[in-house]
Amino acid sequence: MRDMLRQSGTLFGLIAIVIFFAVQLPETFLTARNLLNISQQISMLAITAFTMTIVMVMNDFDLSVGSMASLAGVVAGALFAMDYPIWAGVLAALGVGMAGGIFNGFLVAYVGILPFVATLGTLTMFSGLAFLISDGKTIFGRDIPAEFGGFARSGIPLDGLGFEGLLVPSLSLLALVILFLVWVTLEHTTYGRRLYAIGGNIQAAYLAGLNVRRVRLSAFALTGIGAAVAGLMYASRVASANPTQGSGLMLDAIAAVFLGMTMGREGEPRVLSTLVGVLILGVLDNGLTQMNVDSYIREILIGAIVIAAVAISAIGSRR
Amino acid sequence: MQSLRFVGLSKSYGSAPALRDVTLELAAGRVHALMGENGAGKSTLIKLIAGVVPADKMTVERDGQAVTLKSGKDATRAGFRFIHQELNVVPQLSVAENIFLARDLPQRFGLLINWRKLHGLAREALETLGITHIDPARQVGALSTVDRMLVRIASALVAAPGEKRPCLYVLDEPTAALSETESERLFAVIQRLKSEGAAILYVSHRMNEIMKICDDVTVLRDGIGVMTEKVATVSRMAIIHAMTGKDLGDAFPARTKAVGQRVSAVVTGLSSQRLRDANFSVREGEIFGIAGLSDAGQTELVQLFLGIEKVTKGQLVVLGRAVPKSPSEAWSRGIAYIPRDRRSEGLMLRMPIRANMLLPHLADYGVFARKGSETHRARDLARHVQLRATGTEQSVGDLSGGNQQKVVFARAMAGTPRLLLLDEPTRGVDVGAKFEIYTLIREMSAQGCSVLLASSDLPELLGLCDRIVILQDGRQTCMVVPEGMTTADLLARFYWQDAA
Repeated sequence: MRDMLRQSGTLFGLIAIVIFFAVQLPETFLTARNLLNISQQISMLAITAFTMTIVMVMNDFDLSVGSMASLAGVVAGALFAMDYPIWAGVLAALGVGMAGGIFNGFLVAYVGILPFVATLGTLTMFSGLAFLISDGKTIFGRDIPAEFGGFARSGIPLDGLGFEGLLVPSLSLLALVILFLVWVTLEHTTYGRRLYAIGGNIQAAYLAGLNVRRVRLSAFALTGIGAAVAGLMYASRVASANPTQGSGLMLDAIAAVFLGMTMGREGEPRVLSTLVGVLILGVLDNGLTQMNVDSYIREILIGAIVIAAVAISAIGSRR
Repeated sequence: MQSLRFVGLSKSYGSAPALRDVTLELAAGRVHALMGENGAGKSTLIKLIAGVVPADKMTVERDGQAVTLKSGKDATRAGFRFIHQELNVVPQLSVAENIFLARDLPQRFGLLINWRKLHGLAREALETLGITHIDPARQVGALSTVDRMLVRIASALVAAPGEKRPCLYVLDEPTAALSETESERLFAVIQRLKSEGAAILYVSHRMNEIMKICDDVTVLRDGIGVMTEKVATVSRMAIIHAMTGKDLGDAFPARTKAVGQRVSAVVTGLSSQRLRDANFSVREGEIFGIAGLSDAGQTELVQLFLGIEKVTKGQLVVLGRAVPKSPSEAWSRGIAYIPRDRRSEGLMLRMPIRANMLLPHLADYGVFARKGSETHRARDLARHVQLRATGTEQSVGDLSGGNQQKVVFARAMAGTPRLLLLDEPTRGVDVGAKFEIYTLIREMSAQGCSVLLASSDLPELLGLCDRIVILQDGRQTCMVVPEGMTTADLLARFYWQDAA
């Protein structure tokens, strides 16, 4: 009973936040338009956090996702500027994401550097590369194909359902697809079982015959690809690419996974719990913006909430 | 102090009583054994008298006077010292610093550490225990396990200025990681503490030790004190009977099937970083022992077959092929491994029994995991090893030591291995579970699986093995057939001499 309360506390927190904003902003908050809007606002963070969950299951983490997202956007933008077709730019960006992830995984699993140090290093490298490729400028305007920017504005119309003029944004749908893929991977494949085993006891996993290095490397590759997808979505949404646009993603993604971990039976990351963490951050951001709360105060509040949730969970699990 | 009485010790966790109205009387200058199977309440009892867990009921009297025991500080103040099997020494610091870890170090000008004085005091503390071979300036990380334990005991002995001498030492399975010679050294120190008038509470699973060094014994079963006797007047069988409620003895299940003819592993002129010139072969169904003083290379020899310890010279052919390159290759070729330390190397403690058992066998399921058939398989395995658990989803960390070890066995047996590598398979396991594990080892051997058994438990080696190879400092010194040998005979072989 007590465990149940502790585990669902974060979910209750989300509900409380939603109720708070629904009361404070009766006109605008709980409308279909705003909810769809939130779903689009959080879609990039969501994908980053979902794929971040994959490495965090193994007790690793990846600080380089933000600069990887910027780099992927810039790579696609630079190729577009050179008149390459959209598919080529997208593929190249995803390829860069995977390569960067594999590099992270190589450093962590084969060279044996702590993930904190390894990905702190690559964070700087990826960021530098993004500046180098873009020459420190924003790639925008005619350089970005209209269809590429159009993707972020597209969606499935809800006209028939009584919501005239509303769309379920493609970005939100993409986030849902990634959520499903990560969920299947973590919960329903033997690969996912291996990830959790490594998180449970890496030495035991190794001695019980798991190919720990390969699994770790591949997990970092997946996180890198996730970051690249998020970077492409950013670029599509603002129809431009610049070398810093992904920089806010990393801390929020890790915070979302930590919020989610408060819901695990043993404090382990689960991707559906990560979704709850992402929703808390997204709803707070949306609601506080609408209430015209200063963005600096917003940051203080969000930080405090992450700490409070994790602290309550830590105190609750102590016996 | 003359006597120390702990009366009416009771403690429940939730609705489950862990200890019910146990009374323990300790006398100065006597070693009192505390025995019982895992889960019988020994750890709870120790936690209560250490003041780290609040008792539901407990009165403590020293020479008839009441003692308050509400916190760890109270216990220290009362002169109680605790030495656990998991050693809390800081390997990076020197012996002297470790001894004075919880104390103020002697200083110069109130600022600098007075090293000379510190080392002198540390040497004194060690000498009161009759220990002269440990240099106080040495880093603890470089010491052997027994020496670390002696440092720990020395540190427990050091009294702060104005503090009384300790009157009670509680040793919780101190010899679990020690070889027989090292244990001897510890026993000598215990004798010394005893002669100085301290009371000693000694927890161990090893019957031989109890008979040898203890004066009194109290047996717990299911949280109740079922026996308190003088060791001199009680038989081993009676103690085992009290612990288990049934008669087991030191009995080992007998071999049911002859050793096979085919050879499953051949080692020729093999050397590695740790090992020198090993030569032997193991046949199908054979139980092949690996013995020696502690840290003589047993673990490295076992890990050779896993591809962890690398061959530098000579040859190793296992199951018809060259040595595997990694544990994952070893497992996929039918080599199963049970590591020395189940908690740090064997189990994912916070994960369910199911996940722990099937870890090396995930490849059997292809890409997609199937929880239904996993659970089914885990349940069959649990039944096979007679696991006592609430279900296959229970966290392994909640199980007793013996049951945790059965989970590791179930994992190894699940793939029907052809070579089973065991490193201290019954360490910290109670008598009842020990016997069940021996039965499992016999069963594997009867199925034609070769077993490599590295162990520091001499009766276990003699009772199970067909042959035993003896290592000394990484070198293979001899090979013995246990038939008709006593533990003393075997121990004597650990000290190899050119003449022998």
